[in-house]
Order: sequence, then structure tokens, then C-alpha cells
Amino acid sequence: MIDSYDWAGGREAMMRFGPDAGPVVVAALPLFEEANRTRSFVVTILRLLAARGIAGALPDLPGQGESLVPTHRTSLLKLQDAFNFACDRFDREGRPCYALALRSGALLDVLAPVAGRWHFAPIPGEKLLRELKRTALAADPQRKDLDSLIFGGEAPIEIAGNLVSPALLGELAIARPAPNARIVRLATDTADAALKVEGSPLWRRAEPDNDPALATLLADDIAAWIRACAS
Amino acid sequence: MQPDGSLQVENTVRAVLRDVLGLSAERVAEFREDTPLFGALPELDSLAVAGVLTELEDRLGILIEDDEVDGEMLESFGALTRFATAKALG
Repeated sequence: MIDSYDWAGGREAMMRFGPDAGPVVVAALPLFEEANRTRSFVVTILRLLAARGIAGALPDLPGQGESLVPTHRTSLLKLQDAFNFACDRFDREGRPCYALALRSGALLDVLAPVAGRWHFAPIPGEKLLRELKRTALAADPQRKDLDSLIFGGEAPIEIAGNLVSPALLGELAIARPAPNARIVRLATDTADAALKVEGSPLWRRAEPDNDPALATLLADDIAAWIRACAS
Repeated sequence: MQPDGSLQVENTVRAVLRDVLGLSAERVAEFREDTPLFGALPELDSLAVAGVLTELEDRLGILIEDDEVDGEMLESFGALTRFATAKALG
């Protein structure tokens, strides 16, 4: 069902799944283009959790999805703030919240009122910034001065068709995921993780794709992890 | 996992092209030393190149500087594999 939530900057849409009582998994998609590439995969995970009796929510954050906030008006602080409000809504109903985040979405739940954090293939802001610079350079090889645009200006910067504020890029340079999350990664990733799973990185695909088998594996892990957190 | 041989690096390059470009396993299995890449594979546009390089970094535990990237290393499957091997195995 499509619901909404209010935050300090207005109202945003929120997709809801599963029962009206008990724990809620609130999902944070990665920033920028990767959000489009992973949305249906995350929705699949939330539906599978609902089938296991666990509620889920996917809030549109300012500048994402159906949000009316222009992409270049959002900031990491606003994204985190809105995510906190989305969780707080369930928290006030006395329902324990758990954050589910993919990739750079793991930068958004740092201050959220959650009982636990579950991160799939999380990356620090610095790595996202590096990837954005590479993408911008690939789209326009003549543009070599991205650092001066990010750290010197206020005008929005266009990266692969999206306008992004230099302030957000500056925030990314120092942002890190919360240290106490359960971390799951693809087996091909050399970084440390509590669990490694077989699958391909959907966030790299130019055309959005899905992987129901991987989604099932991850939903099982999340359900078991929530049971362990609650006991 | 750090690759311990050039065959492993070659397989990693194949898997990265498959996963990032959305190619079938059969198609990438047919890639040979002289199979042309950039300019020949419609899936490999300049944005996809950025994804391929970043994914290679993650899987091989290497760092690729942007000034190391040129048309030559992306010309063929062999050229990209040689570049990745030199980076990963020194």
C-alpha cells in the first residue's frame, strides 16, 4: 500500500508491506542512479519479508522517487533526517524498527531510532564520491576540474543527467556507515562481511534488473537476524 | 579473496563484463584475446566503462587511477585482461 510520512521539510510517499503490528523493516535505497537500479530488488525483499510476517516500509526520501524536492536541493543531512522521521513514525507506535540499507543507503540510517541495522554491500561516502567523479568524467572527458566545482562552488553540478548540490558531495567525502550493522556482501567483494552471498551487483546494471533467488536468500537472513535481535 | 593467478584475473574480468553489462555467461565465455570491446560492444558505453573499472577494483582489490584509463586498455578483451593482471599481480 502507498502511505506517506511527514518530515521537517514536508511530506513524502512511503510504500508499506506486511502486517500492521510487530517489527518494521525500513529500507534505504542507495543514492542517485543506483536507487533506480535496485528499487524493484528491494521491493522484492520487502514482499518476501511480509510473507514471513515481518512488516516493511520503503520511504521516498527528499530528492528520490516521487519526491517534489529537486535533486540538487537535497543534502545528506536532509536524507538522514527524513529517514529518521520515517522510522520515528513506527517507533511512536511502539513497533521496533530495523534499518535495511543497500550500498550508499547505509549512510542514511546513522542517527535513526532503530533496534538494529542490516547493510548489504555498504560503501563509505568517499567511495561513492570517487564513483561519481569517474561517471562524470566518463560522460564528459573534458571535465577534469570536478574537485574545484565540489569544494569551491555552490552551483549544482550535473552528473550523468542528475543535478547534484556541491554541499551533498562535500558531505559524502566524510560520511561513513554506522559501525554496528550486520554486513552482508557479494562473494565477489573482497571487503569483510558477516555473510557472503552468491549473486551479481544489480546496482551496476544500466538497465534495472532483479534477482529473486538472491532476494529470497537475503530475506531469510534478515528474518533470522530480527528474531535473534528480538530474543 | 586475492587472485593468485592470471587465469583467475581473466575469469574475474569475464565475470565483471557479464555482470555489469548484463551479458550472458555463454557470450562472455566466447571472448578471446582479440575480441574487440569498446566501440564493438553496444552495451559498453562510456558510463558502463566507469562501472566495469569500479567493479574490477572491488573484486581484485586494486585501485585504478583515471589517468591510467585510455582507449587502448579497453580495445580488446586481451588488452583489458593484461591491464588488470598487471595491476593485480604487479
